[in-house]
Amino acid sequence: MTKAKKYWKGLAELNNDPIVDKLKQNEFVEEIPVDKFLGDSDISSTSTSRRDFLKFLGFSTAAATLAACETPVNKAIPYVIKPEEVTPGVANFYATTMYDGHDYASILVKTREGRPIKIEPNKTGTNARIQASVLSLYDSSRLKNPMKLGVKSDWNTVDADITAELEKISADGGNIAFLTATILSPSTKQLIADFSSKYKNVRHVQMDAVSSHGTLEANETSFGVRALPMFRFDKAAVIVSFGADFIGNWGHPNNEKDYALGRNPNDGKMSKHYQVESSLSLTGSNADERIQIKPSEQAGLLSNLLNALNGGDADIRIAKMAADLSKNPGNSIVVCGSNDTKIQILVNAINDKLGNYENTITLSAPSYLKQGNDNDVAQLITDMNDGNIAALITYNVNPSYSLKNAAGYNSGLEKVSLTISTSLYNDESASKMMYVCPDNHYLESWGDAIPTHGEYTFMQPTISPLFNGRQFQESMMSWMGESDYHTYLQNYYSFADWNQSVHDGYFTSNDGKMNPKSFAATIPSFDLSKSEAIEFEMTEKISMGDGSQSNNPWLQELPDPLSRACWDNYLTISASTAGDLGITNWNISNGALNGSMVNVTVNGTTLNNVPVMIQPGQANSTVALAVGYGRTAAGKCGNDIGFNAFSLGNGDAIIEVVDGEYEFAAVQLHHTMMGRDIVKETTLADFIVDPTSGNHKTLYATHDGPKTGDKVSLWDEFDHSTGHFWNMSIDLTLCTGCAACVISCHAENNVPVVGKEEIRKSRDMHWLRIDRYFSSDMTKELSAEEKISAIDMYAEMEDPSGNPETVYQPVMCQHCNHAPCETVCPVAATSHGAEGQNHMAYNRCVGTRYCANNCPYKVRRFNWFQYSDNDKFDFNMNDDYGKMVLNPDVVVRSRGVVEKCSMCIQQIQAIKLDAKNTGRTVRDEDAQTACSSACSTNAIVFGDVNDNSHQIQGLKKDSRSYQLLDHLNVDPSVFYQTKIRNKA
Amino acid sequence: MHKESEIRDPLILGNKSYHDITKDIAFPVEGKANKYWWILFSLSLVLFLWGVVSMAYTIGTGIGAWGLNKTVNWAWDITNFVWWIGIGHAGTLISAVLLLFRQKWRMSINRSAEAMTIFGVAQAALFPLIHMGRPWLAYYVFPIPNQFGSLWVNFNSPLLWDVFAISTYFSVSVVFWYIGLIPDFAMLRDRMSAKTAPLKKQLYSFLSFGWSGKAKHWQRFEEVSLVLAGLATPLVFSVHSIVSMDFATSIIPGWHTTIFPPYFVLGALFSGFAMVETLLIIMRKVVNMEAYITIKHIEYMNIIILLTGSLVGTAYITELFMSWYSGVEFEQYAFLNRATGPYWWAYAIMMTCNVLTPQLYWFSSIRKSFIATFILSIFVNIGMWFERFVIIVTSLHRDYLPSAWTMFSPTFIDIGIYLGTIGFFFVLFLLYARTFPVIAQAELKSIVKSSGSEYKNKK
Repeated sequence: MTKAKKYWKGLAELNNDPIVDKLKQNEFVEEIPVDKFLGDSDISSTSTSRRDFLKFLGFSTAAATLAACETPVNKAIPYVIKPEEVTPGVANFYATTMYDGHDYASILVKTREGRPIKIEPNKTGTNARIQASVLSLYDSSRLKNPMKLGVKSDWNTVDADITAELEKISADGGNIAFLTATILSPSTKQLIADFSSKYKNVRHVQMDAVSSHGTLEANETSFGVRALPMFRFDKAAVIVSFGADFIGNWGHPNNEKDYALGRNPNDGKMSKHYQVESSLSLTGSNADERIQIKPSEQAGLLSNLLNALNGGDADIRIAKMAADLSKNPGNSIVVCGSNDTKIQILVNAINDKLGNYENTITLSAPSYLKQGNDNDVAQLITDMNDGNIAALITYNVNPSYSLKNAAGYNSGLEKVSLTISTSLYNDESASKMMYVCPDNHYLESWGDAIPTHGEYTFMQPTISPLFNGRQFQESMMSWMGESDYHTYLQNYYSFADWNQSVHDGYFTSNDGKMNPKSFAATIPSFDLSKSEAIEFEMTEKISMGDGSQSNNPWLQELPDPLSRACWDNYLTISASTAGDLGITNWNISNGALNGSMVNVTVNGTTLNNVPVMIQPGQANSTVALAVGYGRTAAGKCGNDIGFNAFSLGNGDAIIEVVDGEYEFAAVQLHHTMMGRDIVKETTLADFIVDPTSGNHKTLYATHDGPKTGDKVSLWDEFDHSTGHFWNMSIDLTLCTGCAACVISCHAENNVPVVGKEEIRKSRDMHWLRIDRYFSSDMTKELSAEEKISAIDMYAEMEDPSGNPETVYQPVMCQHCNHAPCETVCPVAATSHGAEGQNHMAYNRCVGTRYCANNCPYKVRRFNWFQYSDNDKFDFNMNDDYGKMVLNPDVVVRSRGVVEKCSMCIQQIQAIKLDAKNTGRTVRDEDAQTACSSACSTNAIVFGDVNDNSHQIQGLKKDSRSYQLLDHLNVDPSVFYQTKIRNKA
Repeated sequence: MHKESEIRDPLILGNKSYHDITKDIAFPVEGKANKYWWILFSLSLVLFLWGVVSMAYTIGTGIGAWGLNKTVNWAWDITNFVWWIGIGHAGTLISAVLLLFRQKWRMSINRSAEAMTIFGVAQAALFPLIHMGRPWLAYYVFPIPNQFGSLWVNFNSPLLWDVFAISTYFSVSVVFWYIGLIPDFAMLRDRMSAKTAPLKKQLYSFLSFGWSGKAKHWQRFEEVSLVLAGLATPLVFSVHSIVSMDFATSIIPGWHTTIFPPYFVLGALFSGFAMVETLLIIMRKVVNMEAYITIKHIEYMNIIILLTGSLVGTAYITELFMSWYSGVEFEQYAFLNRATGPYWWAYAIMMTCNVLTPQLYWFSSIRKSFIATFILSIFVNIGMWFERFVIIVTSLHRDYLPSAWTMFSPTFIDIGIYLGTIGFFFVLFLLYARTFPVIAQAELKSIVKSSGSEYKNKK
């Protein structure tokens, strides 16, 4: 017998007590006593009046409404197990090495809570690209997984496939080729050797996107050493550069620092720098004398120079240079940027003639930064097309983009049965290959490097890999059936103190010196001829280099030091040649720069609709285009910007002007100082006679005799005699305009990227800008002499000279002690700090922009829009990965507030706290701003002028020191040192 | 010998009796609006709505919707602000200063001039608010006791002085205007029938504060008017002086000028009278006030325009001279650039409209022509807008460091907001013309020459 189960709530229900039924019908046991309540005759005497009732009602409605509003919750999750070395709020620094196949630097990485956020120089200086590389780490366009035939895959599949293929190829005797950028890592080279002993028939070809093949070949021929020499620019009294941009993009990263060391006028020792080039380079813009030539004249002039040094007649253009060189044997440097072996042999001959080797030029401990061999690359492409290569593995290169013969390479690729890329991105080359095994970013990797003979630097990971990538060496080991590159690396350096070396980031070994032969080569000879054609030259921009970091928005928005334009490359041309061809640049109604477009054909390749920018300093009948642009698979922010100059190569150009206009994004639209005393300048000769030369203070007549502006002030002075008084000195002689400080400031202060359209509207957000002024043919003296009217004079002053003198002036908030911005802010959002800074309280700012109007330096920046978390500004601040680079010590500003340089107040606070915690006074040498620490040449010096031991005190009193626009008597805490040029 | 002393021409025409005046002035309020009113009103409403959309867009996305940039941080916003404040000036001058000087001709025009002042200042007050990056925090500019620590406003800032100057000016103007309106509201109240228009009657009874026309009422009315006129008179000079200090206390060449306070006040009166003329010439047609606003009034105002225009011209020349005489290259360049730089056309418009064309008023035929006056008053309005544009934009766009030099170009939003305030102004003014007694009839009745001339004509 089955019985349905019965559930019951109480015994009464089980027993079918009638009360249960009754209760079920009647939910409310007792009737609600409404009638009783309302019928109560005493109701009018209760204390709750109708008004009170309405109050309660109102309150409860409001309370319920308010309770429904929720403030957004941001979760901060504490560590469950705190890593020993991580203290929230305290930065850790790790020494490592930056190398991406193009740029090399030994650096310190600042990490916060396990995130690298800032790069500082260590053994070498840093440039803008190295500073910006920390953002490339957080690039969400990087490959997040291995790919097989263009589809997302996983490591096991990919490894199994590749290993099987490689074994088959090896068994069949097929050729395996590695196509890599210059490999600085000796352990990686060892791994490739291991790989070739396992798989046989392995060839390793190195290529550099911007090649130094000619120099390497020339040195091999001349001295038997296939390496780049190390230059001691600090030791040379005369520096001659034929088109080598050694401060900017050419050679060792310490060139800039060494160059500056040799150009300190205060000890009377200042090198004389000649630059002979066709397109204005950063180095050329710093030269004491700059000679414009066409590229085709270079060889002839070098021949002529050698001839002159041997007692012949020098060409009039280089006569002075030849005389200076011959007066300084063993104490000069001649460098050349050409990639032609014969020309480089000629340069070697000149240096040898001058006895510079092993004095100012070292080949016994050479640089290995460029090892690419153009012949090997060409041979590899031929072999690929002939079907002689069975497997190709690429590393750190993008040949489909950066080879002139990219078409040949691409067609050869189709005949290779196994192609593997280890690129970080699914770039132009990787997308054409079967397997993409994404490498790790250098900040996620172990590694080593030997940049110069006898010097080892180390790479250590500063963060766990963000994506499912694997570093190249690890991949290679897994294809050999091995693993753990970290141990491999440690074993490789068993001869060194591993922990100490990784801690320091480098060690110097006594490997002994190389032994270059004495110069032995047939010296080629060239005629001083000049072609009539318009000649084209590839150049390299400070911001973009070879284009490997073109998806980096900081770099895209970094204004070129010379043209001051960003987000583009463009053909540069001289004003006179532009006039001949009917090419113009003009400003539209909001000031933005527009220009003509042309079709340019070089070596049979044509680029259509290339914009042309008129660039003072470009030689007549020459044009130049920077490499690193025209990427098509760089990522969301680097794609389809500009044109690929690699595809053209140097040569004669055919230019055809086409209809249409191009929109540039330039942050500076006026190029001359308009006769104003902004960058004070003098010559070395004058400076030696009169140290205040070029810096005579304006005197104002008073009842008490003539006085300087600060002595007749109407202002009450702030008392800065006690405590800290932070000041900054910027030496305009040492500043090369390299812009490393600009990116450093970007990274430190969370400066937003705004994009090309906003830059065109003159709304760049840079807290620190480097003003660049060219000299003009028109001067006040000339107009007085020739009785030119003021209107005409100013009109002509706006035009820079054809071969101008260039000055750079970094300008950030000047931290005025009588700040015009502070008096006009209605809400006191900007006010004066006790330590001399001009503070900015973002919370208080209502955004009237009165301060920005009243700033004579125009350094205040307004947040025109919300630049973070806004899809209209889809850069790093609108990206979960990109936001990881933000400095947690600096607030991200909201729209509608004014922002500006704070003199890195967060860093000053940090050292003050540190001093307090350790119970000592602040060590002034600890105090650095982002710009001063990034400055390779020490042009920017930051410190406390109340500290008697700090050099800033001397700098402030220096005869060269001046405050910008000092006649306004705004009394800035930032001051400049007169620019000295070593010319007659 | 019979000598009849020459009597002045009557200030109002048409031998109006007291009752005629009452009827004429109550007519627009009691009657239906004509076609012109509706056309103007719809047009103004469209402009106003466009302005509202533009302002909402600005507040929603950011000031980046305007054409401003890192160098030119103010342009149309502050130009419009100063322009509207300037327009407001004539109203106070007419009602306060002319009252103190017993200029009876003001009676036909003071009501509307004051209305224009209030509506103009209301437009002006919009700009300091919406030009802020974060207008929702605008209360930060008031010295409100707060819990942010010792945070207080910055009394050094001319923008803060603006806040006080404008709010004082606005409140005194409103009170002054309202006091004058009380007897007239009472007149409307008395004419309203409680049966046909009970609501209107109630409204006007409320607005007239129980005015019954007792002698005591009249006495107090006269006293308060005089006191307020005395209070308002210094405001005519202070407000625009303080507005000018936004520029004069700065260090930007072209702004940093001690001549600014009187120069701005004169410019404000100049533009204010021009706007009064523009409005009245339209209004006398639209609401049939030809008899009250006569060529005599227009001529008097033209003389003031001629005087202030010439003074403004003198100020322009003085500025040019001082920049040259100072020997400071930045000053010299600022003015050279103003006249010959990329914004030379704005300078030329300013010079033509403000200095040259008002000189035509030396000819009495032009001075006494409604058409010519209307055209020239528009010229002055345009010229004075450009004066502010020239001062603000041409000084900022090329200041000290050439590296920061750039240009300014307005966006559709800039234009929308400007036209929107014009629309808003006219919406308010047209509504006023239909609901308020547009002429101070109670006062006007005191100058009606009903006695002598009437009998003389009968002879």
